[in-house]
Amino acid sequence: MTMEKGTVTQHRGASSAAWPGLADPAHDSQRLFRQILGAMSEPGTLTTLAVPAPPQAAPSDALGAALWGVILTLCDLETRVWIAADLDSPPLREALTFHTGARITDDPANADFALLTHESFDPQTPFALGSDTYPDRGTTLLVAVERLANAEPWILSGPGIETIRALDIGDSPGCRALMDRLAANRASFPRGLDMIFGCGARLAAVPRSTRADSREVN
Amino acid sequence: MNGYNFAYLDEQTKRMIRRALLKAVAIPGYQVPFGGREMPMPYGWGTGGVQLTASILGADDILKVIDQGADDTTNAVSIRHFFQRVAGVETTTATTAADVIQTRHRIPETPLRSGQILVFQVPIPEPLRFIEPSEQETRLMHALEEYGVMHVKLYEDIARYGHIATTYAYPVKVDGRYVMDPSPIPKFDNPKLDGNPALMLFGAGREKRLYAIPPHTRVESLDFEDHPFEIQRWEHSCALCGSDRSYLDEVITDDKGGRMFVCSDTDYCQTRRGEVA
Repeated sequence: MTMEKGTVTQHRGASSAAWPGLADPAHDSQRLFRQILGAMSEPGTLTTLAVPAPPQAAPSDALGAALWGVILTLCDLETRVWIAADLDSPPLREALTFHTGARITDDPANADFALLTHESFDPQTPFALGSDTYPDRGTTLLVAVERLANAEPWILSGPGIETIRALDIGDSPGCRALMDRLAANRASFPRGLDMIFGCGARLAAVPRSTRADSREVN
Repeated sequence: MNGYNFAYLDEQTKRMIRRALLKAVAIPGYQVPFGGREMPMPYGWGTGGVQLTASILGADDILKVIDQGADDTTNAVSIRHFFQRVAGVETTTATTAADVIQTRHRIPETPLRSGQILVFQVPIPEPLRFIEPSEQETRLMHALEEYGVMHVKLYEDIARYGHIATTYAYPVKVDGRYVMDPSPIPKFDNPKLDGNPALMLFGAGREKRLYAIPPHTRVESLDFEDHPFEIQRWEHSCALCGSDRSYLDEVITDDKGGRMFVCSDTDYCQTRRGEVA
C-alpha cells in the first residue's frame, strides 16, 4: 500500500503528496465515523477529530483537519463531491480522487457532499434537498466556519437535544446565511440540507431536524 | 480472524451504511433504503441489525446482544459469537457495561445512558405495510403524512375488543412527523423510546431499510383521547427477583397447570437477585 502511494505521488508531483490519508483505514474510519455519528445525533455538540491536517497552503488550508477527516471517512467511488470555487485547487482534487476515488461534480444538485467555506456559501446554490418520498437523497454540506463554540447567538432544539443547545459559528455574513438556511429547513421538512461544520480539527453538525433560532432576532 | 475484514463487512459496504445512518439520524423515523448485503445467516435472524452493528462497531467497544431480553438464547448467543470471531470485541451481558447493544424485540429494563447505541433487529420496517401492500403507496403516504388509516386500524381494535389490542410493534410517531414501526418490541417498552438518552438504530436486512431515533427525541405511541395508550400490567411479580415493574414472561412449569412469571430481561433479573442475596 505504501509502495503504491509513493509511486503515484511521484507521478503526480509533490503537491498532493502532502495530503495525508488514514494510517489504519478500517479502524481510523470507524473511530471517526462514530464521532461524526455522535455529532449528527446530538446537534451542536463539539467534537475534535484526531486526523492529520491537510497542507497549510492556500486555497486549501481553509478546509481544516476535521472536514478532511469527514471526507476520508465517508467518501468513496459511489459519492459525488461538489467543491466551491474558493476551496477548489488541483492538489485538493488530486488528493480527493487519490484517497477516496470520489467523483467530482460541477452540478450541486447532483452532489452527495459539498465542500465550501462560510465565505463561499450562497443560499441560492441549488443543492439537492431530497424529494418528499426520498428525503435522504440530499446534499450533505461540509462547511469550514469561522469558529465553533457552544455560545449564543444560535439556539438549537429538537431531536438529539434534551432542552436547548447554543451554537456560535461566527459573525461573518456567510455564517449568518448558513444559520438562516438551517432555520429555513423546518419549513421544507423532510426535505432539507444537513450540515457538518469544521473549524480546524473541531467539528459540529446540524441536521435538518434541528430548530435553529437566533437570540438576536427575538 | 484471517481472511475477513474487521467486523466482517468490507469497508465500501460499511461506508455506504454509515452514509445512510447519518441521513437516518437527520430525518428521525424515516426509512432510508440501503444496499443490504447477504450475511452468513438467514433473513429473520437479525441480518439488518448485524450489518448496522458491523458498521458502527470498533475494536474498543463492548458489545451486548439480547434476544427477547435474554443474553443466553440461540439468536443472542450466535450473534455474540459472530462478532467475537470477526471483530474480536469484548462482550458483556451487563447493560450498564455495554457500548453497543444489539437487541431482538426488547429494550433493556435498566435505563440506558448517553453514548450507548441500541441496535434493533427489524423484520418488517413499514408500519403501514399490513394496511397498504404497495411500497410506492406507503412511501407517498409518509410523504403526505397521511396516517389516518393507522388510527382506523387501532379504532377497529376498539370496535371489536373494546380496547386497543395491539400489544407489540405498536406504532409510534417520531418528533411529531414520521409514523414508525418500533420493531416487535412489546408496547410495554414503547415509553422507553421517548426521550431516551441513547441513540437507537433500526436495521431491516430483508427489506433493506434502516432508520433511527436520535437521543432525547419525542416519541409518542398513537392513541385516542378516550382510549389513551396503556402498557401491559401483571398481577404477579417476578418469581425469581420479585420485581413488580419489569416485563414478565409466563413459564409453564409442569403439566398440571403450574406456571410462574419471570423477568424477560435476564441481566436485570440476575443483577437484582445478586443485590438481594
